[in-house]
Amino acid sequence: MNVTMKKIGKKYEGRDEFTLKDINLEIENKDFCVILGPSGCGKTTLLRMIAGLNSITEGDLLFDGKRMNKVAPKDRDIAMVFQSYALYPHMTVYDNMAFSLSMRKERKQLIDERVREAAKVLQIEDNLYVKPSDISGGQRQRVALGRAMVRNPKVFLMDEPLSNLDAKLREHMRVELVRLHKQLGTTTIYVTHDQTEAMTMASKIVLMDDGKIQQVGKPEDFYNRPENIFVAGFIGSPTMNIIKGSIQEGKFVSDNKLMTVTPHKEHQESLREFEGKKVSAGVRSERFEAGGKYGDTIDVDIEVVEMLGKEKILYCRMDDGHQLTISTPGHYDYDDGQRHSFGFDLEAMHYFDQETGERIN
Amino acid sequence: MGIFNRKKKSQLYLSDRQELTLFGKFGVAASHIVLMIWAVVIIWPLTQMVVSAFNGKQSGYLILNREFEFSLKHFEHLFQETLYLNWVWNTIFIAGATAVLTLFIVSFTGYAYSRYRFKGRKASLMTIMLIQTIPTFAGITAFFTMHSIIASVVPQFTRQMMLILIYSGGAIAANTFILKGYIDSISSELDDAAKIDGCSNMQIYRLIIMPIARPMLMLIGLWSFIGPFMDFLLPRVLLTSPRSYTLAAGLFTLVNDFRTMNQPAFAAGGLLTAVPIVLLFMALQNQLASGLAKGSVKG
Repeated sequence: MNVTMKKIGKKYEGRDEFTLKDINLEIENKDFCVILGPSGCGKTTLLRMIAGLNSITEGDLLFDGKRMNKVAPKDRDIAMVFQSYALYPHMTVYDNMAFSLSMRKERKQLIDERVREAAKVLQIEDNLYVKPSDISGGQRQRVALGRAMVRNPKVFLMDEPLSNLDAKLREHMRVELVRLHKQLGTTTIYVTHDQTEAMTMASKIVLMDDGKIQQVGKPEDFYNRPENIFVAGFIGSPTMNIIKGSIQEGKFVSDNKLMTVTPHKEHQESLREFEGKKVSAGVRSERFEAGGKYGDTIDVDIEVVEMLGKEKILYCRMDDGHQLTISTPGHYDYDDGQRHSFGFDLEAMHYFDQETGERIN
Repeated sequence: MGIFNRKKKSQLYLSDRQELTLFGKFGVAASHIVLMIWAVVIIWPLTQMVVSAFNGKQSGYLILNREFEFSLKHFEHLFQETLYLNWVWNTIFIAGATAVLTLFIVSFTGYAYSRYRFKGRKASLMTIMLIQTIPTFAGITAFFTMHSIIASVVPQFTRQMMLILIYSGGAIAANTFILKGYIDSISSELDDAAKIDGCSNMQIYRLIIMPIARPMLMLIGLWSFIGPFMDFLLPRVLLTSPRSYTLAAGLFTLVNDFRTMNQPAFAAGGLLTAVPIVLLFMALQNQLASGLAKGSVKG
């Protein structure tokens, strides 16, 4: 099912400012759409508005072209998985999963079929007749998923469903969720603050901050072509190095004069109109190179080395104290206290207008 | 090493703390003495009551330290010479009605105060709390007036019913807080999930919240049931005929009026009063055990 939002805004009763404003978004059928953003950016509010749990102050919410603003949650043909799982503690796993169907007065036999089918897919068949308090966190998570699945909804809504699991299980469930989505093909809207989840699971990411959508696109776009400084800083770990400076005679010169970059040919065109203006340059930590084959280099002192196994993360300082984070393959030899010079992969440079924060190249 | 171990074992510990100093030991001893005295103060009159109730050698006025002879004659007196069964029935009726009425209304108020945001929510909660500080008895003249006004319109409205309203009024106010607090601790995501699953607001309460809050509801029911058993002042003042008395008011006639004086029967009646409450307590024991809310939210 297509989910379309047109100029949606939300103002909570008793607050002066809009929590969400001007949200325009198109989620296509069978999309796995991840709404990503820092805490308090309004992403959960948006999801709850789609679910019908919060009212929509302005704008239109359309499911397959039908306006849904005033439709009750139970009639929207959605299912939601909550952060706390929200399993009914006094019911068995079976009853939890059967609850929504029995509320619709479906036949007992059909309910039984659906519940068992979902339990089979999720591998919780052995736990059908115990209470949620008797099973582990991962299993509860599955029950919550199962409860959503039995209804065969048109849209799955998930509100940070993995945040209560431990790291190992989270990794596992991430894959499970993607597999499940492939299998069922249901449009899924997934809210998280974890960029790894967004990058690994999404077919479409919506990055929100401060009640506004910052960028919509595929995961690789987010990494390779962030549209503004916020996106650049939010996506990617370690965080992208952002250096403030200006364009002088076609070259990027940092404010501390320690770094000069001759932009790549493809970037020169768009940078030309920013001659003399304030511009920030962004470099991902893995896009530094030690050989010096791109010309411009920068001298840094390595302060701390983080050994992660497959890579080393070097926390370096330029001569004026500005910090740079550089990652290199784990078998390269670097130690703290050393001084090295690094070059930049010019093709992979990001330039942002400092005034607006928008991407230039 | 062995000596050291033995010595360690002989030290006094309170839970997982440092061993007690001499001063601390005196403290522990002192608090034990206080507790023991306290226990005696509570248990001694109770045993006296039980013993006197079964002592055939007692008559009229209770006299301590007389010889003992087992007999049920005080119970016989209670059932045959007094309106005891009437009083029991009155009390159970009043207590039961109070409990039912309280539970019914507290269910709504507790849920509403916990889940809904409305104008005057805070103010009304504060008002309810402040009114609690005024003793119910202070309103006795108002209760009289209210009763006579209502009774003049609806003659079926007895003083017992007035009593029920007074008891449940007080219980509703106090227990609204307690239930609101309990429901507050139930994640509202459960409500959301139920809403998506197709529940109306009433169904959310009936199918989801009420079963989870059952231990607390049981406790509230039990408390409001016990209240009328314990209260003496209101029935004594409000109820006029001995036939309509509750247990407390009725039994009082056995000790304060020389015409009906029979202190051992009073003891026997007091002993029997405990029976319905104890039975109820035993029946609800399992329900009262809380912890049902575990597992709904991460645990």
